[in-house]
Amino acid sequence: MTGTENIFDRLRAIQDQHGYLPAAELESLSKSIGVPLFHLHGVADFYPHFHLSPPPKVTVRVCSDMSCHLRGADPLREGLKARFASMSDRDIAVREVSCLGQCDGAPAVSINDRVFRNVNAAQVEALAISALGGVLPAFEERDRGIACGLGSPPPFDLEPYRAVRELMQTRDYDGAIAQLKASGLPGLGGAGFPTGMKWEAVRKAPGPEKYVVCNADESEPGTIKDRFILEHLPHLVIEGMMIAGLVTEAHRGILYIRHEYDAQEKILEREIHRCYESGLLGNGFDLEIFVSPGGYICGEETALIEAIEGKRAEPRNKPPFPVISGLWNKPTALNNVETFANVPQILVNGVEWYKSSALKFVGVSGDVVRPGIFVIPMGLPMSDVIFQHAGGIRDGKKLKAFAPSGPSSGYLPASMIDVHVDFKSLAAIGSMLGSGAIVVCAEGTCMLDMALNACTFFRNESCGKCVPCRMGSQKMVDILAGWTRGTGTPRDLQLVDELSEAMKLASICGLGQFAHSPITSVLKHFREEIEEHIVRHRCPEGVCPMHP
Amino acid sequence: MSIQLTIDGVAVTVPEGTTVFDAARMNGIAIPTLCHQQNETPVGVCRVCVVEAGGRVLTASCVRPAENGMVVSTNSEKVVNARRTLVELLMADHPSPCARQRQSGDCELETLARAEGIGEPRFPKRLSSRGQDESSFAIAVDHEACILCDRCIRGCDEIRSNNVLGRRGKGFNAGIAFDLNAPMGNSTCVSCGECMVSCPTGALTNRRVVETELHGDPVESEELKQLRYFEKVSGTFLELNRNAIVRRYFKAGEIICREGEYGSTAFYIVEGRAQVYLATPIAHVKTSAAGGFLSKLGSGLAGRKQDRREGEADRRSIPIDAPVDLPYDSPLAELGPGDLFGEMTCMSLYPRSATVRAATDCVMYEMLRNVLDIMQRNKTLKAQIDDNYRRRALEDHLKSVPIFASLTEEFIDSLRSRVELIRYNKGDVICRQGDLADAFYLVRIGFVKVAEDHPEGELILAYLGRGGYFGEIGLLMEGRRVATCTALDHVEVVRIQKDDFQRMMDAFPEVRARLEAVAIRHQEENRRRVSASVPLDQFLTQGLMEAQSLLILDLEKCTRCDNCVRACADAHDGITRLIREGLRFEKYLVATSCRQCRDPLCMVGCPVGSIRRRNSLEVIIEDWCIGCGLCAKNCPYGNITLHPFKVGAEVKKKATSCDLCTDHAEPSCVYACPHDAAHRVDPNQFLMRRA
Repeated sequence: MTGTENIFDRLRAIQDQHGYLPAAELESLSKSIGVPLFHLHGVADFYPHFHLSPPPKVTVRVCSDMSCHLRGADPLREGLKARFASMSDRDIAVREVSCLGQCDGAPAVSINDRVFRNVNAAQVEALAISALGGVLPAFEERDRGIACGLGSPPPFDLEPYRAVRELMQTRDYDGAIAQLKASGLPGLGGAGFPTGMKWEAVRKAPGPEKYVVCNADESEPGTIKDRFILEHLPHLVIEGMMIAGLVTEAHRGILYIRHEYDAQEKILEREIHRCYESGLLGNGFDLEIFVSPGGYICGEETALIEAIEGKRAEPRNKPPFPVISGLWNKPTALNNVETFANVPQILVNGVEWYKSSALKFVGVSGDVVRPGIFVIPMGLPMSDVIFQHAGGIRDGKKLKAFAPSGPSSGYLPASMIDVHVDFKSLAAIGSMLGSGAIVVCAEGTCMLDMALNACTFFRNESCGKCVPCRMGSQKMVDILAGWTRGTGTPRDLQLVDELSEAMKLASICGLGQFAHSPITSVLKHFREEIEEHIVRHRCPEGVCPMHP
Repeated sequence: MSIQLTIDGVAVTVPEGTTVFDAARMNGIAIPTLCHQQNETPVGVCRVCVVEAGGRVLTASCVRPAENGMVVSTNSEKVVNARRTLVELLMADHPSPCARQRQSGDCELETLARAEGIGEPRFPKRLSSRGQDESSFAIAVDHEACILCDRCIRGCDEIRSNNVLGRRGKGFNAGIAFDLNAPMGNSTCVSCGECMVSCPTGALTNRRVVETELHGDPVESEELKQLRYFEKVSGTFLELNRNAIVRRYFKAGEIICREGEYGSTAFYIVEGRAQVYLATPIAHVKTSAAGGFLSKLGSGLAGRKQDRREGEADRRSIPIDAPVDLPYDSPLAELGPGDLFGEMTCMSLYPRSATVRAATDCVMYEMLRNVLDIMQRNKTLKAQIDDNYRRRALEDHLKSVPIFASLTEEFIDSLRSRVELIRYNKGDVICRQGDLADAFYLVRIGFVKVAEDHPEGELILAYLGRGGYFGEIGLLMEGRRVATCTALDHVEVVRIQKDDFQRMMDAFPEVRARLEAVAIRHQEENRRRVSASVPLDQFLTQGLMEAQSLLILDLEKCTRCDNCVRACADAHDGITRLIREGLRFEKYLVATSCRQCRDPLCMVGCPVGSIRRRNSLEVIIEDWCIGCGLCAKNCPYGNITLHPFKVGAEVKKKATSCDLCTDHAEPSCVYACPHDAAHRVDPNQFLMRRA
């Protein structure tokens, strides 16, 4: 069904014209491109970006995930709902939205798809009312997240595109792969699969048609590092993709970016344009940007591929892996933004440099004084990250818990603050480095409330393809919500264990496999607090409603 | 090349490319599954077939190719527990026993749950309803029972290439959807039954027509599959509907169905020829004085040639429920092999519109509406009906409307290939008030409701049946639709594009002039109604708007002696049209000839379209009424009665409504009232005086 290629561009064109996707337009599109109606409806109904009925004049979406939740998203949203309750649904709607990727500017909202950070109720109200009048003013941000870390200058001062130019001259692609393999550069999107091995597999895969895909769809609560890299170091990402094209013999690269990152998209566009002008691109390797129609699941590599193919972003069963059968079922080197950004540095500075001074981008958000993106040496203790770089806990409070990488990593107690930020150390204590999305909870946070929040995120973002994730994530939310309302029973603990195990073992992709982590980790490290809810029907922190 | 692996401790060898599921099955190890069936590409979504094959997590055996040296366990503790939890999860939201379980006891999920020993699921039940869809005649959809195994989707898109079914929504809101999430019956579904046959639960089940049992020879599904219309239909599905289609043999001269009778079947002629005709005289009830002054009134039959009434149609042909219309002057036509008749009776349970008699010995299929639905959705049959219509009926259809009578053969020929036959289902909006007018429509099958939006609610202008037309006013006058037209039941219309319509208007200025005159009159009436001094709503709700005249009874004077009722009966061969009941204003009881109801229910379902509204909104019963009595049954005020007449040895009936004896100086009822309680009044004056 190749008619589905570029289908989102066509749908966007219709939506730009009508404000939504009228049935008559979909019917004529179906006829003209030969794609069945069910397919058009299937994708339009799947991605949050599309509307099948006319949307209100103004839609205010309040981010409801971890960092924003910690920074008062619930009262903000409920206050706005109450404020606009008397107005027509056709004029204004206040809704929840999954993580907008502005965790360092929490709480964040989007008004008619434009994102605003660090907002309060009065500001959102003013913006929404202004938008009703047809004007959506620019909003001055108070404190934009800035990478600090090792001090200045950031260690990315190598001459842009030197690595790729050298490689074009030497054509020593096997050597480049050997270097990457020797460096041990892991995939930095979270899974940590060795990059050199991945590219070598694509290189060795038969056939002339291969692809390089960059996953810039970071959507996991707390994950904001790629946003920074795309904005400040776009050339490293593009150069990394060019190198991947050379060594894998792919001729087409696609940079898949989440649609909320339009500022970063423009920066990338300019950079790509410059590369075409200087001849770095367009001579055997083309690079284009693909704007995601939305959804956390699109960050799963095979779901992302399905999305580029114009389908519902439902992860594929693996094997086969994308290195063998990826985009359009061709061998595909698919990596995260940060992974690509590291490649030119390794080729220029060498394997030893990387091994001794590998850097990691992390985002720190939640209850910290200085939320932001930081560049840290791999292996730095978590305590340094939270207390030095991010300035410690807000309002002079104590640390209660932290998630090393958003909801997938689960929550760890303050007692584990000395853990080193690297793949091995975090795995050793049952967590993960993941995408470096460090979310910090101060004392007074209810860990059941946080687990429910994170499980709700997975429930909302499940694609629904497989039973354990679609139904398991829903039942998990139902059970945990029951606990927060005081209707839990000790028998539920056994049920949650069984459910977690089934989701972990039987789900198709990482979303379903890790959707239990928030509650499993909290049951492991904060069991007494949870049992208080279930056995004595009481929330020790006074956060949960505790009435049905 | 062959692959060697170990499954549950047994070394097995399978060809390369074999899945673990098949490798196990080939070696006698059955792995439970819900989403996988052998004739479809595996998708691995239910995860019930997961096995342990090394690695961090379990793997779905239906999609996992067997690999050399693989060690597979299909019943380890991990596998057994995960499978149990999955089935328990599914059962938590399953409406047990589901429709399939109730019908045939073979819901695969419930069977598996029993095998796994799952009783009452421990998970909380889903709170939000996922709904049912009863719109298809052939298949019942219960989204509550759907487990999203995608078997129906693959059946529809992959096996049958019909491309109607897909997934909608996302995550816990995901479900199956037809086209753009249309109700199944309104979608482009061809009722092949593959989805229903593929469904493991009660989400898609066969809909039987339970109320009717057919008498005739059963038709085997193999035989049906020989017929082009059924060749792409699932054999299992036909098997399930075995009793919904039978073969009937008729001797020459035998009556197949009679006009006015109720039925629920359609006929398809396999061999032989049949005559279709109306046995009821083509005439209306006329009441007149039998003789000189003060003589008794009498009622008789009169055709339009003898008695021309105001607002009477000038049609040349009579619309019936068959692929042909009947000429007014000699209502008889012939049907032959390949013809289908009785569609409206079958789909919408209306009385038979005409009598059909075997002209030669005949073989026919008689079918219930689920089978007819399958046939009608078949693309070959649709093309054939289309072609038939273009060839045989379009000309009659167009020319039967007096306004179009002057169209030339040549012009109609030019339209033949350009008109579209479109099918609508109950509730579908064909065109909406205010929308841009882009076509003109003729009704082929079913009823279309024409209604205007008013602040007080909708005013129904007409129910159009076969032979009716609409859409011309928007094209002629304003460019926009002035009324909303909705399918009341199973409807097929002929669509003539705006361009063709304009071409017609340009080529036939007299047609344009007449249509425009009608359009202008219509709009003036609208304006008058809207600007009436008494609030429209009051008139409407009282059902008295613009009545020509009203009959009122002064209840203070009336002694309930019923002389009026008797007088009416005397005047109409013993059939009274007056019932001393009705709306009351203060001391008056109001009886009218017709209340011009907001919703003229009498017009719905007339199998020959012989009841219409005059411009005054009062009804008129056309000469080709077959006396089936449906309008009388439907009129909520009892204002339509059936008048029997002897025709030869038979008694035929004609519908009639009170006309207040308009031909006479005073209605018999008024004349007969000994208490001066009955009066005939002008409604406007009467209402104004009261107001």
